[in-house]
Amino acid sequence: MSRKITIPVILLAALALPFMTANTYFHHLMVLWMLFSLLALSLNVIIGYIGELSFGHAAFFGIGAYTAAILGMHFGLAGIPGILLAAIVAGLFGFVIGYVSLRIVGPQFAILTLGFGSIIYTITNYWVDLTRGPMGISNIQPLGLWGGDGIALTSAIGYYYVILGCVVAFAYACHALMSSRTGRAFIATRENAPLAASLGIDVFRMKLLGFVVATAVAGVGGALYAHYLTVVTPDVMSMQYVAALIIMVIVGGRGTISGPIIGALIYVALLEALRALGPLRLVIFAALLTASVIFLPGGIVSLWRRITGADTPHQEGAQ
Amino acid sequence: MSKETILEVSGLTKAFGGLTAVKAVDLTVQRGEILGVIGPNGAGKTTFFNVIAGSLPPTSGSVRFKGNDCTGMRADRMARLGMTRTFQITSLFPALSAIDNVRAATYRHKKTGWAAAILRNRAWQDEEADVDAEAMRALEFVDLGKRAHVNAEALSYGEQRRLEIAIAIAAKPELLLLDEPAAGMNPEEGQRLVSMIKRIRDEGISILLVEHHMRVVMGVCDRVAVIDHGEKIAEGKPLDVVNDPNVVRVYLGREAVHA
Repeated sequence: MSRKITIPVILLAALALPFMTANTYFHHLMVLWMLFSLLALSLNVIIGYIGELSFGHAAFFGIGAYTAAILGMHFGLAGIPGILLAAIVAGLFGFVIGYVSLRIVGPQFAILTLGFGSIIYTITNYWVDLTRGPMGISNIQPLGLWGGDGIALTSAIGYYYVILGCVVAFAYACHALMSSRTGRAFIATRENAPLAASLGIDVFRMKLLGFVVATAVAGVGGALYAHYLTVVTPDVMSMQYVAALIIMVIVGGRGTISGPIIGALIYVALLEALRALGPLRLVIFAALLTASVIFLPGGIVSLWRRITGADTPHQEGAQ
Repeated sequence: MSKETILEVSGLTKAFGGLTAVKAVDLTVQRGEILGVIGPNGAGKTTFFNVIAGSLPPTSGSVRFKGNDCTGMRADRMARLGMTRTFQITSLFPALSAIDNVRAATYRHKKTGWAAAILRNRAWQDEEADVDAEAMRALEFVDLGKRAHVNAEALSYGEQRRLEIAIAIAAKPELLLLDEPAAGMNPEEGQRLVSMIKRIRDEGISILLVEHHMRVVMGVCDRVAVIDHGEKIAEGKPLDVVNDPNVVRVYLGREAVHA
């Protein structure tokens, strides 16, 4: 199996990446790539594994970011406990919203997530006492171990490695999921819900589980983002980020692990390369998404399989 | 054959507004038995089937499986109790390979979850090996062993129908509900199906079969119940039932009677 060689090579390359350049701006882009990879991987659980579309994912990212910011501001928590709490808070929101919304599936569910996402965005904008409104929260403490213990992560390289660790851990968890009973139930639910139910799979519970995991991980991403940038505004929940995450997952390749990571790379790279074009970039991203849906429904990673002619197992890690 | 009752349907009625599709039907399935439910098109067979399988709530009456009342119970709960159904229109996981289709069906009687897969512990390894072996066995049971890695959507129609049966038996049910398994099959495929259904019974699985292909029903069932206009009009051994005047009238003489 070539996977035994390629994965260590990719990991080593990822570890060596920051040393390729001393330019801190490139380091910043690498952090963004990893951050978007984590978020896209989490959204991929919803789009790729349980087969639903969520327009509300950025809201959970924002909930994680605000949880970390507010905990840091009021309780001085800026370490691992803060990140875990951000995951729990985002996951709880995911549970409540998923519990209500997942009774319906397909386009109706997608519209509901759009509604809930907008509600969370609006509340964040107007609940000034808690969130400071459109000004956002600034001077968020940098990441520490437990917070207030003198250890503070300030360099971009440091954040790159921390988030890389999260991406690797979550990618591994997704890989393990696909070779587990739970993962098979996810895929069965996505492919044919009535048949899945006839085999004893509780379709609603599986969708809810996938949704909660995805939102909790988005919360972790949000907390890391808040500590890294030290500023968070309601804009992190805007449609721009929702669209960006969906583009990463679809263009990269939904239902795979490498797809969302490659999608995040393409997004970050194009965003920089086309900076001169200004708002026109969004048109290019829209075209990219449309082209991908029409010509490459399996995303960029399916291109690789098409070229190498490898037989195409539809889900990663099934064999 | 033991005389234990595995499924007991009593007074089952299903009305859609003014139309009563199933009227007070009583039926029992003994453990190890193949029971056929037949009737002309529009007789209410499929409605009857869907009410038992939990896809439709009954208007009145009850369904007891292994002594537990499971009237109107959700399909997935019923499946976990040990009752698996197939669908009249081919129902598969089209984008997955044949073997992955069957792997997914082992869900009911497996235990390790996501956490065990992350830890790659012993229980997970053993169970994954079992899943692979059982899935392959189920595919070989329906002669699809060589097609294990072909996507379900790329299989021929006959192969897809057999894959459905592999999926159903991989769930290891105690009672299997087959909804018109011979639909769209040619006589040769029908014969193959008959022998397959008998072999499933030999594995210790009781079967309730809804069908209107008389040849399949006659070839495989221990007992047959006939439904017409939602009512049970005859029940007994296949040969007795086909000679029952009521059944003859329903199947052959309908036009004559109404003329």
